[in-house]
Amino acid sequence: MLLPTILIVPLAAGALSFVARRRRLMESVNLVAFAALFILAVALVGQVLRAGVISGWNGFLHADSLSALVVLLTAFVGLVCSIYAVGYFREDERNQVFEGGSAGAIAVSTLRKYYALTPLFVFSMLLVALADNLGVMWVALEATTLTSVFLVTFYGRATSLEAAWKYAIIGGVGLSMALLGTILTYYSAHNILATETLASLNWSVLVTHAAQFDKTTMKLAFILILLGYGTKAGVAPMHTWKPDAYSEAPVPAAAILSSATLNCALYGLVRFYVLASRCLDGNYPGRLLLLFGVLSMGISVPFVLIQRNFRRLLAYHTIDHAGIMVTALGVGGPLGAFGLTLHMTFHTVAKSLLFLCAGTVFQHFRTDLFGKIKGGAIRLLPFAGTVFFMATLAIVGTPPFSLFQSEFVILRAAFTAGHYVSAVLFVVFGVGIFAGAVLHVGGLVLGPSEPGPVAPWYPWRDSAVLLSTAVLVVMGFWLPTPMFDLVRSAAGIVSGAQ
Amino acid sequence: MIFWQDPQFGNRLITMMAALVLVLQILMVAQRSIVGNIRGFGIQSFLLASIAATIAYFNHATQVYIVAALTLVFKAIVLPLILEQLVERIQIRQEIEPFLNAPLSVIVSGLLTLVAYIVAESLHRPEQGTAQTSLGHNTLAVALALFLIGFFMMLNRRKALTQILGLLSLENGLFLAAISLTYGMPLLIELGITFDLLVAVLVLGVLVYRIRETFDSMDVSKLSRLRG
Repeated sequence: MLLPTILIVPLAAGALSFVARRRRLMESVNLVAFAALFILAVALVGQVLRAGVISGWNGFLHADSLSALVVLLTAFVGLVCSIYAVGYFREDERNQVFEGGSAGAIAVSTLRKYYALTPLFVFSMLLVALADNLGVMWVALEATTLTSVFLVTFYGRATSLEAAWKYAIIGGVGLSMALLGTILTYYSAHNILATETLASLNWSVLVTHAAQFDKTTMKLAFILILLGYGTKAGVAPMHTWKPDAYSEAPVPAAAILSSATLNCALYGLVRFYVLASRCLDGNYPGRLLLLFGVLSMGISVPFVLIQRNFRRLLAYHTIDHAGIMVTALGVGGPLGAFGLTLHMTFHTVAKSLLFLCAGTVFQHFRTDLFGKIKGGAIRLLPFAGTVFFMATLAIVGTPPFSLFQSEFVILRAAFTAGHYVSAVLFVVFGVGIFAGAVLHVGGLVLGPSEPGPVAPWYPWRDSAVLLSTAVLVVMGFWLPTPMFDLVRSAAGIVSGAQ
Repeated sequence: MIFWQDPQFGNRLITMMAALVLVLQILMVAQRSIVGNIRGFGIQSFLLASIAATIAYFNHATQVYIVAALTLVFKAIVLPLILEQLVERIQIRQEIEPFLNAPLSVIVSGLLTLVAYIVAESLHRPEQGTAQTSLGHNTLAVALALFLIGFFMMLNRRKALTQILGLLSLENGLFLAAISLTYGMPLLIELGITFDLLVAVLVLGVLVYRIRETFDSMDVSKLSRLRG
């Protein structure tokens, strides 16, 4: 019963917000739904740790520890962003930035777009993680794009339309490649399973037969899947939609896109990676992944260094981290897989936090260009400014923060597995990103500021940031045992040990 | 055996229809009118539905009939209607302005078809050459060709609406691949894919409409404010 409930909660919240007539009602529906969802996700983790694998609806839904990890991270980001969104959109309303002014009725109908689409968006991400069937997983991933296109056009500016068009078209082409990959995977398994029932595309069935799949077909299928789901994850060179979409979407939506949606796309890639590495030997998918992973890290470096817009900076940063995780998958083995799941966990918390801080800074100064803010955000925005700088240090992998640990694990895995070139490039690009991000955000946050009143404590936005910061800081020193078990067991699924 | 019960006849029928689909695709590449392109897509979808029905008939696969019916209703009728209405509503000049001219585009399409045949050849496994796989073989090449030419159409066109048409014919290639390789994906997934496609066209249609309103043009090469 737990698995269907997890899906029904956001679906119902989306439907309720769609018919709601008052802003306060939409806000509470979202808050309650995401709080409930988070509790359900924790319950799911508990059950999966005890029972290993649970399934529902006659095997249609399937949760192992990897799915549980993705569900937990999605629910966490959803909760934090739903708290933040309340304050964010109220501030927007005060600043009158909505299309066509912000008289009551217009504001409500604009807000409805966000409050109704976001739960549906989260629903489709949860379905990606919980569907056993690879075809259903594809349908759900396509649904994540379709539900979020209108979040990108939220402000209705000309640039939002441009960003949404790129997002929808590049995403659509990418996912059609992934569909062809899924069809070919089905074909390569078709002669072995010799059934045409729904179950013959179930991952849990396929994985037991993967060694007998047709190798030529599987090779082609994996390339297509890598290109397709790689596009969704924003891996270079299919990343061009990313900075546009992230900088045009409202900040809470951008935070979800950059952390939870990235996880879902990588999750899809991982499922096929497990099949491909059982069918072929690990080298073939590994080399391809390393190529794309290192390329993504490399491409993001110059853009981070010369960036003038801090939301686009964060987007290029996400491309870098997608590259890091794809590299970890390419390195493979127990250590690489552990690095991947650990990094996924830490990155989700840190990146969503960064976007939220950037949002507060953006709303305070009404610009997202570094050049227009003289500096010293820390004096005008003591809390958000401090956390912004701290989270930047965390995400570029400064100790003692947790991302240092996961990046170190990935690096060690790369050296152990003999991928010296990739490992060296990893370090070089890492230094570039570090320099770019710390210089830019440091300049924004520290230094002398323009005179002005110090911002008060924003109850909704700052509480969301505080919650997320607490998690980030605690995780730097102490990962609770169940959480550690979950991450380790998810890594076991990635590396095929389980 | 009467000819309409002979699977060999079924194979030939399917190969012929697949060839027609490919010819239509290349005609669409060379075609300059948007409405003509939409109709071309409709006829192409109709042919695909017929291929699915033929496969269903010769293999006694009832579920493939449903897939054929879905394709007929949504891809051959509903989607072209939606698109034609959109063309009318935004009142655009009824012409596609490709980057490459028609003869050059046709040559590129021919080359892409060649590539598709080479790839399909490498996937072909003669040692399992039962009647079933040989049926898939030729159509797979056509399907990959549709996919690649669809890609090319998207790259070659400036207007937002015509890019949607490229995406749709690319999707038709996928449908043909699925149906020729495995007699269609499981029904539930076909349903999901069709639904996604429908929503995607609606979403893209709304975007086209708003882009047209905001930029007073549908030329996507003008969408270039966001950089770096």
